[in-house]
Amino acid sequence: MASNVTAYKDLTPAKSLDKATLNKMVWLSTMLQASFNYERMQAAGWLWGILPGLEKIHTNKEDLSASMTHNLEFFNTHPFLVTFVMGIVLSLEQQKADINTIRAVRVAAMGPLGGIGDALFWFTLVPITAGITAGMAIDGSFAGPILYFLITFGVQMGLRFWLMYWSYSLGTSAIGVLTKNAKEFTHAASMLGVFVVGALTCNYGGTRLGMVIPNGEKPIIVQDLLDGILPALIPLGLTLMCYTLIKKKNWSPIKCIGLLLVIGIVGGFLGIWPGDYKTVIQFPWH
Amino acid sequence: MDILQIILLAIVTFIFAIDQFSLTELLYRPIIACPIIGIILGDAQTGLAIGGTYELMMIGNMPVGGAQPPNAVLGGIVAMIFAVKSGFSVEEALGASIVFAVFGQYAVTTTFALMSGIMAKADKHADLAEPKGIAQVNYISMLILGGLFALFAVLAYVGGTAMGETLQEFSEKFQWFMTGLGAAGGMMRFVGFAILMKIMLANDMWGIYFAGFAAAAILGNIPATSGATLLLVAFIGAAIALYDYNTNVKIKNLVGNGGTSDGI
Repeated sequence: MASNVTAYKDLTPAKSLDKATLNKMVWLSTMLQASFNYERMQAAGWLWGILPGLEKIHTNKEDLSASMTHNLEFFNTHPFLVTFVMGIVLSLEQQKADINTIRAVRVAAMGPLGGIGDALFWFTLVPITAGITAGMAIDGSFAGPILYFLITFGVQMGLRFWLMYWSYSLGTSAIGVLTKNAKEFTHAASMLGVFVVGALTCNYGGTRLGMVIPNGEKPIIVQDLLDGILPALIPLGLTLMCYTLIKKKNWSPIKCIGLLLVIGIVGGFLGIWPGDYKTVIQFPWH
Repeated sequence: MDILQIILLAIVTFIFAIDQFSLTELLYRPIIACPIIGIILGDAQTGLAIGGTYELMMIGNMPVGGAQPPNAVLGGIVAMIFAVKSGFSVEEALGASIVFAVFGQYAVTTTFALMSGIMAKADKHADLAEPKGIAQVNYISMLILGGLFALFAVLAYVGGTAMGETLQEFSEKFQWFMTGLGAAGGMMRFVGFAILMKIMLANDMWGIYFAGFAAAAILGNIPATSGATLLLVAFIGAAIALYDYNTNVKIKNLVGNGGTSDGI
């Protein structure tokens, strides 16, 4: 695996990406979640989206392999705002920045955008547009759905294009400062990245127990006990478990996924997960 | 039974299934999807009425933060089938479609879990620098998701409400399994975090990792800040990172002026 490569072989900055390539990537960015999965979320869609640029930038195969490999790590951001991350990462790739730097910037940028995008689209633009157009549809007018699509799609695509160009030029202009103090910058950016991953562990970690142990008047809610020790204790514990298995025991990611699958399904059988479902055998805590 | 209707229904359902996560992320919304299904089934007016009603219902039921509510895409499509073909009222149709919405959710959970396994294939293509392979992985995923959705839509069309009852029974029996699969799915992201940590986390950064965790735990549990948790976390993280950067640059310059520059 090329995941231990930290610098590209060919360190000559590539030519600036042309408009056609940037535009192509904006359109491809709509496929960000095409292969969404629980392990790395949008990773493969993200890589697919920036590939036209990466192929232009990395003309030798080894560098392309290294770049594709590190861009296939865990990735998750708001789908409508992803071109912001794309532009800045592509500008760093183009300048052949240190791979650790690129990774750190990518991780630091992707996290906060999720919340902004949700607030902007799903809580503001879509409800307002729906409020106006749903009534038209209920009254039997096709103008409802058509207007709905034009407004939401127009805003979305406009934002995708604008963010791509803006962040690409932003990254290109900042690069001089970054390369002068590359080592210091990478350390600082990695700190931000690690900080964000710590936050994601808590924020994206929804794993909870649903066990209630009967105890006369006061049933014991197991999750409340755990929350009393540390909120998001299970996500933290599982993350550290996977980290230990991968780092110290050299487990492959797929082996870890297999283990989690077993834990999940056995847990479902035992009825330890929350939710309204019937287990095969009745357990006192479910 | 009309073969052409079935084929068209399968095709648009296939597209809507993909669209709920990719493409426009808008076509699948009931206000657009239901009138299109209505045109296919020959009753666009019912499509507009159900679509508008369902769209208003869906405000507040957004795909936020990766959570999977009962699937409104399949729910809406199947409600349309029952309303137009079986002459159900809007409420009856929506009620009868709920079990299909649950199966839509199963289809999503299954696809997301399966695709975690296929990431190993993507890794291989990345290692060999094969862009076509990455595209292929994405196509496979869309094929699985779209195919499962199209299958359930066709089942609803052909089997009608009787199929709904069969699925209901099946669902009750195996719900523990799908709950377990869903729980496993929710845990798989921890593998992704672990891989990032393996690469990024130098030994001097464990404190930073736990600080990030603590910041999110605090901000995420205060109602006033929970909506902007990650943005606020980024502010704090950026302050730490900037401080680190400026300090280290200063140290480097001081050392450099002392004449002991070793070219780092």
